[in-house]
Amino acid sequence: MSLPRLMEDYMKSLREFANIFFKNKFGVVGVAILSVFIFMAIFAPQISPYNPMDVKSIGIGKPFSPPAWIKIFNKDIPDDSVFGILGTDELGRDIFSQIVYGSRISLLVGFAASFTAVFIGTIIGLVAGYYGGIIDEVLMRFADILLIIPGLPLMIVLAAILGSSIRNIILVIGITSWPSIARIIRSQVLTVKEMKFVEFARAAGCGDNYIIFKHILPNVMPLVYVNAAINIANAILIEAGLSFLGLGDPNNISWGMMLFFAEQYQALLRLAWWYIFPPGICILLVVLSFIFIGHALDEILNPRLRLRR
Amino acid sequence: MPLLQVRNLKTYYQTARGYVKAVDGVNFQIGEGEVFGLAGESGCGKTTVALSIIRLLPPGGRIIDGEIMFNDKNILAMSEEDIRKIRWKKIAIVFQGAMNALNPVMKVGDQIVEAITTHEDVSKEEAWRRAEKLLEMVGIEPSRAKDYPHEFSGGMKQRVMIAMALACNPQLLIADEPATALDVIVQAQILKLMRDLQRKMNLSMMLITHDLSIIAETCNKVAIMYAGKIVEYADTKRIFREPQHPYTRGLIGAFPSIKGPRRKLISIPGTPPDLLNPPSGCRFHPRCPYTNDKCKSMEPELKDLGGGHYVACHMPW
Amino acid sequence: MSEFKGYIVRRTVYAIITLFLTITINFFIFRVMPGDPVSIMVSERILKPSVVEEVRAMFGLNLPLWQQYILYIRNLLIGYFGYSFHWKEPVINVIMERMPNTILLMGVSTILSVIIGIILGVLAAWKRGTKVDVTILTSSLMFYSLPVFWIGMMLLMLFGYYLGIFPIAGTMSRPPPEGFFERILDLLHHMTLPTITLTLISYGEYTLLMRGTLLDVLTQDYIVTARAKGLPERRVLVKHAMRNALLPTVTAVAISLGFIVSGATLTETVFSWNGIGRLIYDAMMMRDYPVLQGAFLIISISVILANYVADIVYGILDPRIRYGGQGA
Repeated sequence: MSLPRLMEDYMKSLREFANIFFKNKFGVVGVAILSVFIFMAIFAPQISPYNPMDVKSIGIGKPFSPPAWIKIFNKDIPDDSVFGILGTDELGRDIFSQIVYGSRISLLVGFAASFTAVFIGTIIGLVAGYYGGIIDEVLMRFADILLIIPGLPLMIVLAAILGSSIRNIILVIGITSWPSIARIIRSQVLTVKEMKFVEFARAAGCGDNYIIFKHILPNVMPLVYVNAAINIANAILIEAGLSFLGLGDPNNISWGMMLFFAEQYQALLRLAWWYIFPPGICILLVVLSFIFIGHALDEILNPRLRLRR
Repeated sequence: MPLLQVRNLKTYYQTARGYVKAVDGVNFQIGEGEVFGLAGESGCGKTTVALSIIRLLPPGGRIIDGEIMFNDKNILAMSEEDIRKIRWKKIAIVFQGAMNALNPVMKVGDQIVEAITTHEDVSKEEAWRRAEKLLEMVGIEPSRAKDYPHEFSGGMKQRVMIAMALACNPQLLIADEPATALDVIVQAQILKLMRDLQRKMNLSMMLITHDLSIIAETCNKVAIMYAGKIVEYADTKRIFREPQHPYTRGLIGAFPSIKGPRRKLISIPGTPPDLLNPPSGCRFHPRCPYTNDKCKSMEPELKDLGGGHYVACHMPW
Repeated sequence: MSEFKGYIVRRTVYAIITLFLTITINFFIFRVMPGDPVSIMVSERILKPSVVEEVRAMFGLNLPLWQQYILYIRNLLIGYFGYSFHWKEPVINVIMERMPNTILLMGVSTILSVIIGIILGVLAAWKRGTKVDVTILTSSLMFYSLPVFWIGMMLLMLFGYYLGIFPIAGTMSRPPPEGFFERILDLLHHMTLPTITLTLISYGEYTLLMRGTLLDVLTQDYIVTARAKGLPERRVLVKHAMRNALLPTVTAVAISLGFIVSGATLTETVFSWNGIGRLIYDAMMMRDYPVLQGAFLIISISVILANYVADIVYGILDPRIRYGGQGA
């Protein structure tokens, strides 16, 4: 088959899938919200008025100033006590800029960590499920141990040891998340393995690699996608949590880190809602979009409306 | 008056891609004590007919049109309350693949008792005794009523289903592929059991299957279904001796006969039609060896060939 | 019946092996950590090298690794989990001081989440596709997506700082009030916001699980049989569907109970709740490895135990396992 034809077929089935996907309300809302944030992340320098990592942006406004638009409700507030769209933090930096740039970290870590976990988990799940026997036992014991050791505490330890950089956070989340994916993939592989067409392929003399990649993997992929979406959501939440505990990368600003600083500098006491509300809402929305997308995929790919013949 | 009369039944399924016309205008009737066979390929709508009669369609299924007269009352016009009273008490159903038709966490005896106590005012002990007798009737040790479904083999589970179906002495028993998932010997046993019970209790039975040999053995009348429509309808003997519809001929010819001469097996070329967009005109025309232009454009009506033999085909035979 | 015994035996062996592996891995993780704990400890004051060596010997850090391992196992068997560098008391004391707080907080919120989750899940599955279902589904998904520390902070800011209805930190007031009853009340008062926080983000998981399982069960053949028998819808739902759907749910709940001990680090941080989650974080910052090791081990043991109990309970509840085997 020629490449143009393959691409044509692929695009057709993609279009068909998109059709069905966008009929699902959760899917539409999820993709819509996600698009906003992806746009924000890509065009951060254009959208945000200041670069929060730039030393010059410190002290742009008075520290802990509420946003400018509250003047609509209270005209008596002096002009230099308010600032910008979302006010300022403890160092007088613009919060809106931090929010915009923060989207980059959350999305980056979310995608990368999840990709790592899904990649490792799928491979291990495939191998364990397909070959069975000792390989399966060993791999699954290993996965079980990782599942038993408490997740967040383990990540805290690893992050504190390895040092806080984006790469390490991604690694830490990826390494601790693959077991649950591996288990799910493995049980699906076990089911697919029993199906007739695999038997036929083997009888026709196909090699193991061929069977795994050409027959089993395509039947496992839908499950992988659903889990990937949920995994990204979890990864983003975990990154936010680790940053909140102070284990985030100090060279970058993420939404979790904003809340870390907020807590450290008594934003709660000062009732600085403009510092606390926005980062959390952003985390919520991004995570929500992935959860919605995952749920939409689950509804579509899960044959709960089985027709009886 | 016939016990059951189905008139112009249309049942469609709503899917993401549109309406699947599973049953598209079906007519037949079953008299008292009669065994009626509904035959056809997988996916031609047979099970949907059965589910429509007891109004238990899966999500997405809707009865669009028609009447189902049972004891002169239209089932499709009944309230939910009324149809629940009819279910099992008057019309019982045995599903194909009893593998999963029994609740795995309930004792078999309890499941039969449940059927009885729902419709009749009897004590639990009385119902349990009846359940044991029913099991005995289908050839299972009555003491096994306290066992769980997974402790039975496939054939025995099917027997349990039959026992349960007859628990309230229904007037009509619908059997959907009752023997398909079983091996040949067990199949024969189950069929014999059903024939004996039917005769003893003067049950009306609707037997749904793709296996014509079963129909030949058990049924008085047969309707051949294709792509949601009935294409031929007659006494069993007449259909097997003088099949008129090309599809029926193909079906009968596809079954080898041990007694007859060796001949090449006829198979029907092509694949079952897509019920989302069925073929125009006669739905069988893409696979029919005798097609002409009329077949492609006009849907054939059921013609009366005399003696209760109906065929939906344009060809004059 | 012997099938069931076989099942129990297999589960027990598996639990013991996993326990042993976990203990071993736990040991090695904290031994290969960078950062010499002794030097951290002694950096607080200047000591002669000989004293440093003495301290090392006291903690057994000068022995070869395998000897340390044997020592470790032996100590575990007598219940000695090590000595905390930072808090200067046996690890087991450090942990036990905080354990009840965590169990209380996590336990109550888990139970609440499960109850709410099951009820909503059943409701959503029963009224599938209706506004009720969509509302329950959407709210569950939304609350599940909340960052727990953020919602804690918001609740704290609103009810603690702004409205002043609830205390802003701690497990109990300082100094604690007189009288047993007053103390309980004080504890509950402090516990309210963190419990609400945890329950809010957890109930969604159980709702989705219950709904999903129930929907899967409702497509099974035996449900159609039950309806065909003319049973009223409620009976079909309770007697047939729920009985089957509860099995995986019970397992999931039992496993969750095992994680009660691991604490909610983030929630405990926000509310300054004196629990194990926060302990782990503090111990990590202080590089107090014995405490970390002890905490990890205790958590792992309880998870293994909970999984084991979950397996056994499932085996009892599912007649396919309890009365296993095929009839002739």
